[in-house]
Amino acid sequence: MANELKFLVVDDFSTMRRIVRNLLKEIGYSEADEAEDGVIALHKLRNSNFDFVVSDINMPNMNGFQLLQEIKKDEKLKRIPVLMVTAEARKEDIVLAAQQGAAGYIVKPFTKATLEDKVNLILTKLGLK
Amino acid sequence: MSDDTATTPDTQTPGNLSHDVHQRIGVLTRQLHDSLNGLGLTEKVKTWAGELPDAKSRLSYIARLTGEAAEKVLNNVDQAKLHHDHIAKETRRIGALIVQDPVAAVAKGHVMNFISDVEEASQEIDKNLTDIMMAQDFHDLTGQVIAKVVGLAASIEEQLIQLLIVTAPLDAASNRIAPEPTPAVQPPVTTALQPVLAGPAVNPESNPDVVKSQSEVDDLLASLGF
Repeated sequence: MANELKFLVVDDFSTMRRIVRNLLKEIGYSEADEAEDGVIALHKLRNSNFDFVVSDINMPNMNGFQLLQEIKKDEKLKRIPVLMVTAEARKEDIVLAAQQGAAGYIVKPFTKATLEDKVNLILTKLGLK
Repeated sequence: MSDDTATTPDTQTPGNLSHDVHQRIGVLTRQLHDSLNGLGLTEKVKTWAGELPDAKSRLSYIARLTGEAAEKVLNNVDQAKLHHDHIAKETRRIGALIVQDPVAAVAKGHVMNFISDVEEASQEIDKNLTDIMMAQDFHDLTGQVIAKVVGLAASIEEQLIQLLIVTAPLDAASNRIAPEPTPAVQPPVTTALQPVLAGPAVNPESNPDVVKSQSEVDDLLASLGF
């Protein structure tokens, strides 16, 4: 069941989107789409069914915090777990993400093992794995 | 700037020249000071003074990260090539054994050993390829840092052009268009929901406000009950 989950990878750098998608595929989640900022991500989330969002924070147009806030405000989307994968290493950002309802927080640069651990942990908590 | 202090070189004594240079420097300094104040740039210059060393450490960070990424890629390519060479060599050896005596090649376990070797090498090569892919994350991290340094350079350039316009010599000034008053620099709107983002921590060891590793992130979140 878990392997059929559909992921949305949000990052303004195409290199990072490819890396995260490839890693997700390696750890068993091959269903993934991409968005280059929060605006595009929100549009895709509202027009398709996703089970998991992996999002950067520092992006143009709509950053990761704003995207997280929009997702949590939306009745249809608020249950989708959002894992922040970001270079923002300030403690206040981590606390803010947690307060806003992020399901997890990974600081770049990260490893495949870290991504795998966090994704599986979140899915286990939600009873999806 | 007035031209009345100018004298021709052949009529100057060393003492006069020195006095003249000092006077000119004094005039320029006063003009620069007045212009900076007039443009409201004094505070800006103080900020630049603080930001330039930061820009320097950001550029060092880029050099370090790109260097490490290149090193990581080359090391992984070396390892993958070793595995690949081993498999190529073993393939030729097993091929020859099978041609020579297919039954013996299987019976003596050469074929099974080879299959096991291939599987092991494939896993190692796959790991090397993943590491090479992960090494490309420097593009994202350095891209963010470069954007910040470019922003600082653009800001300094813009303000220096303003300064140049205001302090242009009078003959040039007579032709110039009056500069637009410098708008007060508006700080980005920040709310609790949209903090000013800092980007990658280029020197986390010296900053207690940033985490230094993923385990610190996990500890912080755990302390908040997550």
